[in-house]
Amino acid sequence: MQVAPTPDNEAERLTALHALLILDTPPEQRFDKIVQFAATEFDVPVVLITLLDAERQWFKARVGTDVCETGRDISLCSHAILQPGIMVVPDTLEDPRFADNPLVTGDLKVRFYAGAPLAMASGLRLGTLCLIDHRPRTLDAMELGILGTLRDLVVMELNQQSAVDEAPDA
Amino acid sequence: MPDMHILLVEPEALLRRTVSMTARSLGMSQVHEAATTGVAMRMVRQRRFNGAVIAVECVGSGTERRYDLSLIDELRAADAPGGRPMPIAILADQATPTLLAELRDRRISRVILKPFRAKVLLETIAGFGGGSKGSGGDTPPNPFKS
Repeated sequence: MQVAPTPDNEAERLTALHALLILDTPPEQRFDKIVQFAATEFDVPVVLITLLDAERQWFKARVGTDVCETGRDISLCSHAILQPGIMVVPDTLEDPRFADNPLVTGDLKVRFYAGAPLAMASGLRLGTLCLIDHRPRTLDAMELGILGTLRDLVVMELNQQSAVDEAPDA
Repeated sequence: MPDMHILLVEPEALLRRTVSMTARSLGMSQVHEAATTGVAMRMVRQRRFNGAVIAVECVGSGTERRYDLSLIDELRAADAPGGRPMPIAILADQATPTLLAELRDRRISRVILKPFRAKVLLETIAGFGGGSKGSGGDTPPNPFKS
């Protein structure tokens, strides 16, 4: 298993993430409906909105798992935020970065993974909207477009969060 | 982006937004969104469209319950006489024989049944563009598609 390298802008990235004041907050319908929509649209058992904290990945919204966070060292999303585009892993067992990852070999049984980085206007990638399946598969161009759109909608909601947090008191 | 203007009438905002934003990002066409038939009616009176995807609403109650097809009639009234009819796809909860007969009379290109998926809607919109080349349009293809 390969642990993802730490992004060069990690300190700045964590500052932006913590400024959202969203970590460890309760579920919210505006995020839940996006993961539920994605699960139906792509016919996948697990969809997550992950936010990558210093030592963990925390799930703001989730379908298909009761787990609310995992260690960052085993996170596939920590690899996905290293690139601007969507990271697709058609079969984790065929990928040396992930074949012996506990998320692949354990209860979550991640066999297919597609993670769209949640890039804010600053360019900082705070987490992902990710799809997980228990069988190998891939996404065509239109499906990648749809996943990109749903990611954009998550980012819009995060930006709203940011705007609320920064609003002066009335 | 092709100069195609598509009308999408769908009450579910997330589905509507996903289709319109993805169509734009993939350079397919410009999708104009309407949440209700009433809003769509106003849009139809203000501009011409190259195709439409319409979730038909049920109106009335009991034995008087029926699908409101007035928007389709409005669009069909705007078709050029003798020309190719505008491609129209319908979103419906179920396809009753009565509804299908009414849709056939209105030369509907396709019927999409629940659960509605953005990809199916986008493929339908993409098909509108492809169908404009060399299609006489007098004999619509088998429209039934879930």
